Amino acid sequence: MSVQPVPDPVIDAPATESGDNLVEVRNLNKTFGGLVANRNVDFSIPRRGIVSLIGPNGAGKTTLFNQISGYYQPTSGSITFDGVNIVGLAPNDVAELGIGRTYQNIRLFADMTVLANVMVGRHARLKSQWYEVILGLRKVREEEDATRAHARRLLELVGVPRRYERELAKHLPYGEQRRLEVARALASDPKLLLLDEPTAGMNPGETARMTEFIGQLRADLGLTILLIEHDMKVVMGVSERITVLDHGEKIAEGSPEEIRTNPLVIEAYLGKQATA
Amino acid sequence: MNRDGMLSAVRVGAIAGICMVFAITIGFVEAVSRREVLRDVLPLSTVLLLIVGVITGVLAVRTSTRGPEPTMGAALPRGVIAGAVAGAIIAAYALLAESVDLRAVFTNLSPSAIETVTFDQGIGVGALILVIGGAALGALGAILRLLPPLPTRMVIAAGLTVVVLSIMEQVFRVMLSELGLGAVGSLFYSSGALTLLGALIIAVVTAALVWLARARRSPVRAQLARVTGRPDRRTSLLLYVLVGAALLILPQIVGRFPSDVLGTAGLYILLGLGLNIVVGYAGLLDLGYVAFYAIGSYSIAMLTSPQSFLALELNFWLVLPLVILLAAIAGIVIGAPVLRLRGDYLAIVTLGFGEIVRLLFLSDWLKEFTNAGQGILGIPPPTLPGLEFPGRDPQEIYYPILLACVLAAIVAYRLANSRVGRAWNAMREDESVAEATGINTTNYKLLAFALGAVFGCLSGALFAAKIGSIFPHSFEILVSITALAVIILGGMGSIPGVIVGGLVLVGLPEFLREFDEYRLLVYGAVLVAMMLLRPEGLVPSATRQRELHEADDPDDQYDADAGAETGEPVITGARA
Repeated sequence: MSVQPVPDPVIDAPATESGDNLVEVRNLNKTFGGLVANRNVDFSIPRRGIVSLIGPNGAGKTTLFNQISGYYQPTSGSITFDGVNIVGLAPNDVAELGIGRTYQNIRLFADMTVLANVMVGRHARLKSQWYEVILGLRKVREEEDATRAHARRLLELVGVPRRYERELAKHLPYGEQRRLEVARALASDPKLLLLDEPTAGMNPGETARMTEFIGQLRADLGLTILLIEHDMKVVMGVSERITVLDHGEKIAEGSPEEIRTNPLVIEAYLGKQATA
Repeated sequence: MNRDGMLSAVRVGAIAGICMVFAITIGFVEAVSRREVLRDVLPLSTVLLLIVGVITGVLAVRTSTRGPEPTMGAALPRGVIAGAVAGAIIAAYALLAESVDLRAVFTNLSPSAIETVTFDQGIGVGALILVIGGAALGALGAILRLLPPLPTRMVIAAGLTVVVLSIMEQVFRVMLSELGLGAVGSLFYSSGALTLLGALIIAVVTAALVWLARARRSPVRAQLARVTGRPDRRTSLLLYVLVGAALLILPQIVGRFPSDVLGTAGLYILLGLGLNIVVGYAGLLDLGYVAFYAIGSYSIAMLTSPQSFLALELNFWLVLPLVILLAAIAGIVIGAPVLRLRGDYLAIVTLGFGEIVRLLFLSDWLKEFTNAGQGILGIPPPTLPGLEFPGRDPQEIYYPILLACVLAAIVAYRLANSRVGRAWNAMREDESVAEATGINTTNYKLLAFALGAVFGCLSGALFAAKIGSIFPHSFEILVSITALAVIILGGMGSIPGVIVGGLVLVGLPEFLREFDEYRLLVYGAVLVAMMLLRPEGLVPSATRQRELHEADDPDDQYDADAGAETGEPVITGARA
């Protein structure tokens, strides 16, 4: 694995300067009716870091994800992205600030072509207005050509073969769909990439390739990555820091080594007897 | 033959027979019998029976096919049985109608309808003809189904061309005499129908053309490029110029009535192009689209007619920008309250809006401005300032409608293949993911509504100028339904599809005016058949075609893409 472990993981040191951390979540609470999905979560992602979010099913990982990407509004607390408070922003504004995401159950634009899916991903970075499109301005055509070329490069980067380009997204094999989703997220030039179980349903070979690919993304594109993942091999292999949620609360945070031996984490995963 | 195949053949035959019994009972068969396809030989009612017989045969083989294609030996008896059953049911019904007076209940069932289906031969011989003929047609259908595609296509194309050319006699006869070929006209046509010789010539020529074009599944442009050896861009330019010239001289050679029909079809093409933006691209099912048509009509009427309360009598072209602006505002006003609604809910609410707009124009409350049920009269034609042209004459009003259609098609095409069109499609596919991708769905929905409204209002404005007087009852829900049917028939999201859909669904019925009361019946039947046989529409967009025929030969799809590379819509052959 090409990923270097961070020499000194800043675990409980309060990261006050937003310069160090791309994302700062402070005292976040989210309730649905009587159900508490996130309780007092404090959590940060360092720039160019790869952070994993783990925890049993129903621990509130995806809820946290959805709040960072603007899909849910927190009940209370703050989320700062790149120095900007993003609480209250619509998902499209959040996306424009530079957060791209993939979904636990792949959610492509199923009846659009593979290439169109990636080109849609670039929407927030394009400038053509509808009246310019109607007038058929030259710069609209140029932007369109550039977007197509960019989308093709991204497909190449994630490894979706060129011959699939005009196929409908829903006709792709499963593994390609996952990769296509990543390409779509990358098309918006995000600073932060949120990956929700990127290796779910993959075989060991595909999983290993995806793990390597995540490391590459950071190395080549300088991305910051937040990962929800159940496969511990992936989590331990790729992340520098791991945050563990259980019943909506953060129960542990630290380097892979620390998490592996943390009694609270073992308890959350395996039950109380295991720690005794 | 196995028992399942038998049963399904009987079932298909029974369904076809019952459908025909229904058509006879409501008087449809008798109505079409008054029209002849071949002079003194073949009335349209017989053509209907022939077509139903053949389709029965095709379906009898089709429904029993799961897995490998049946052999001719297995298929032929199925076709024969299905056709014979259908014929027998019609014969039995004829016998019943002869012996019992059904007219007390079915008032449209006249004795002459029964005579029509028994071919004036009396019930005994008629029944025999029905059963044997049905069996023969069923066999023909089965054979057509199993033949390789080329001969099947030749037969179908020849048959359909004869029928269509016969129905559109009024157009072609005038056209031929305008071109100084009146003699040819009387060779082909005689008193409203084709002559036998004419039909033969047409059938042979059509079949030959299909045969000549056999290998050409690639788009016309690619063909032309190969034939002329010129670069693609210039051939396409040549093609545009030729089509443009043909469209420009068309009304002059086809005469007044066909020009009028073309104008009406043009108005619906315009409506279809607008509604296609809202429904086809953005996926917002708007059933109240007629509201914009009405608003366009009324605003032009109020601003240009001397009889409106404003009495401004302005020129059509001067107020058109204002009408377009009003349209966009109307689109946003109607769109804003329904932003959060999806699917069925959106359809119901927009349906309501359409009715509200019509009722407002009808209401006593606004009578002062809209004249309520009396409508607004004396709307001037869309003459250019200081000119007499174009007037209300069908051969002149055709031109502004053509202009509007061409502009609308260009606008729609550019939008569809841009950042905007992609955003609409993404929204249609998955709204929340579209948002997470950075698309402001609120703005894009409003944009779709506003642009759709502009096209609809433009169509309404031209409609008002075309007919000169408008009444609230011109803006019934049927307009929305027809516009939607145009899109569905042509192919959702496809611009050539909307054009073909408009011509077929609005143009063709104009030549069958005498069957006007059955128009909705035919609409319904056509739509059901389309949904079953070719759900992607007549001229589907490349994407849509793939979406609905996933299992079809994938290698073929890449061939078809050779043309799609240029970004032009590809018209693929009937592969369904």
